[in-house]
Amino acid sequence: MSTLIIIDQSPYGSWAGREALDMTFSLAAFDQPAALLFVGPGVHWLCQGQNADNLGQKSVEKNLSAASMFGVEDILADAGSCARYNLAIEHLISGTTLVESIRDTIAGYNQVVFAG
Amino acid sequence: MTDTTLHITNKAPDHPRFRYCLSAFKEGDALILMEDAVLALTDQEQALPSTSYALSADAQARAVANRAPRQQLIDYNDFVQLTATYSRIINW
Repeated sequence: MSTLIIIDQSPYGSWAGREALDMTFSLAAFDQPAALLFVGPGVHWLCQGQNADNLGQKSVEKNLSAASMFGVEDILADAGSCARYNLAIEHLISGTTLVESIRDTIAGYNQVVFAG
Repeated sequence: MTDTTLHITNKAPDHPRFRYCLSAFKEGDALILMEDAVLALTDQEQALPSTSYALSADAQARAVANRAPRQQLIDYNDFVQLTATYSRIINW
């Protein structure tokens, strides 16, 4: 029973994404296959070089790099959204996979949930 | 003196209210992008007025600061300065 968690909001703007990440890691911790798909402004979760010190927040980049350790199989980013925000694969944290079609990606999972 | 307006928004570029903000923008106005709105700095689908500024703390957090023109990034003191410059302020 695989779950795809979609994050479509920018990091640091709201807490919805962080809660979704916690849920994803919890699923993985209980050996439930889980994957993350970032779309729209949400692709900025995957940027390298995030510096949230001046916001007094912990960088989400660190949380995400723990994903593989938790056994979260796929870290996916919508290619169209990346193009819109001028993000090439080298701007993104390693292990990110670009997906061309959200529709085809969604088809591969039993459950699809949104953050917030 | 015609009213000049300082527009301030924290909405991401794909949020409807972000577009309303830009549609209300007139010659002589200024725009401050904060929180998620700073993503507009690298949004290829969104042209910004020349007098647009973004809070550097938000831009650094979202890793867009290094890909945005230097003069567009402001700190909180500049933010306060701008609010004193315009006769009308709208928070979108």
